Amino acid sequence: MTAALLTLADARLPAGGHAHSGGVEQAIAAGIVHDPASLGTFLRRRLATSGAVAAGLAAAAWGADAAGLDGLDVEADARTPSPALRASSRQQGRGLVRVGRRAWPSDTWDALPALPHHAIALGVAAAAGGLAPCDAAQAAAYLSVSGPATAAQRLLAMDPLTVAALTARLAPEIDRVAASTTGQNGDVGRIPAASDPLLDLLAEVHAARKDRFFAS
Amino acid sequence: MKTVVEVVARAGPGGRTVLPVVRASGQLAVRRTGPSTVHLVATAFGPLGGDDVEVSLVVEDGAVLTVRSVAAAIALPARGEPLPSVQRIHASVAGALDVGLEPTVVAARAHHVAVLTAELADGAVLTATEQVLLGRTGEQPGRWTGTTRIERASRPLLHTTVGLGPGAAAWLPPVAPRAYATTVHLGDGESGVGTGEDAVRLPLPGGWVTTAWGAELHRVVAAVESLTDPGARVTA
Repeated sequence: MTAALLTLADARLPAGGHAHSGGVEQAIAAGIVHDPASLGTFLRRRLATSGAVAAGLAAAAWGADAAGLDGLDVEADARTPSPALRASSRQQGRGLVRVGRRAWPSDTWDALPALPHHAIALGVAAAAGGLAPCDAAQAAAYLSVSGPATAAQRLLAMDPLTVAALTARLAPEIDRVAASTTGQNGDVGRIPAASDPLLDLLAEVHAARKDRFFAS
Repeated sequence: MKTVVEVVARAGPGGRTVLPVVRASGQLAVRRTGPSTVHLVATAFGPLGGDDVEVSLVVEDGAVLTVRSVAAAIALPARGEPLPSVQRIHASVAGALDVGLEPTVVAARAHHVAVLTAELADGAVLTATEQVLLGRTGEQPGRWTGTTRIERASRPLLHTTVGLGPGAAAWLPPVAPRAYATTVHLGDGESGVGTGEDAVRLPLPGGWVTTAWGAELHRVVAAVESLTDPGARVTA
């Protein structure tokens, strides 16, 4: 069932992810990201924090019932105190549900809250697509860097080959983040809670801007 | 070394707070310094790697408790095995609790782990402040990992882990600060988003969390205070 994972992580899946830069647009405005090396640092930072949290939530959401998903929604909010990041996650969650329902019809979609966090929708999509919990974690970890990498490429007019190589070289770290979610055993307290106040600040400053290209 | 501190605050006659339990063993002593205030006093240098401090704070309905310390804690590496020093504060709050210890300075090669878990009843008020400086003057930064999980009526309101210092996955130049401070307040006043230079305030249900970072601790603490809504502060 690997093909379903490829589809889930494909940038061409019309789930709305292309409208979000994952903080990269504001990081560029703040001078934090300006070349391939600084982009690589930013992606690592994002993968280790919001990527790890998303991977943990996605794995936990796999196979959860409605009450379990509601509980995970609250856990996701507790790990995402930034209102801008919450809104961005829920927008992308809604986008994924819209296409996921058509792609992998299943009753499990009905158990999701109305505007689910993206990671939780990913877990449900993985289950509906016949994938395993670790696949959900893998997709969440990968998407935490692939979208921002593409956004940086567009905003800085970077060489696409350089950016593709940068993302490809993160593969071992993406695998590590995804694998670290396997010891949760249904204990929501053990879902990673790694947080980066810098990303919170960038997201809030970005949300207040009127001249932005990306939604987040 | 294992250190255990226990304080229970209870509503007494005339609206005063009584402290039926004030207990400490190991590297900390606890002294009552005001009607509803206790100070933690270090009785040994440290903590050293491998040291384990557990602080249990219970504030019953109608009681008020303020917890302070008398001096900065300097987390030092142990010889031999590279173990972290660990400080766990667990608070169970129905009244009002304000925890604000002096800064933790993490010496080079040391790793300090700070965990705050709080369970709040409906109507409880909590203010908790953390101040961290990586490395003493002229020294390489140490490593600090801080986890906060706050629940109200079993529902998590905030759960974050921040890793600072060499080896922490998201502590990467150009944003790799030596100083970090955060204040979380829950209970009697919601606040909107606030942003400053290297500082951000985020709303929580019935409260907020403000975080700042930078090169110097006094500037970072000032940045947290400048984003802190004075009307939303607990008066304990």
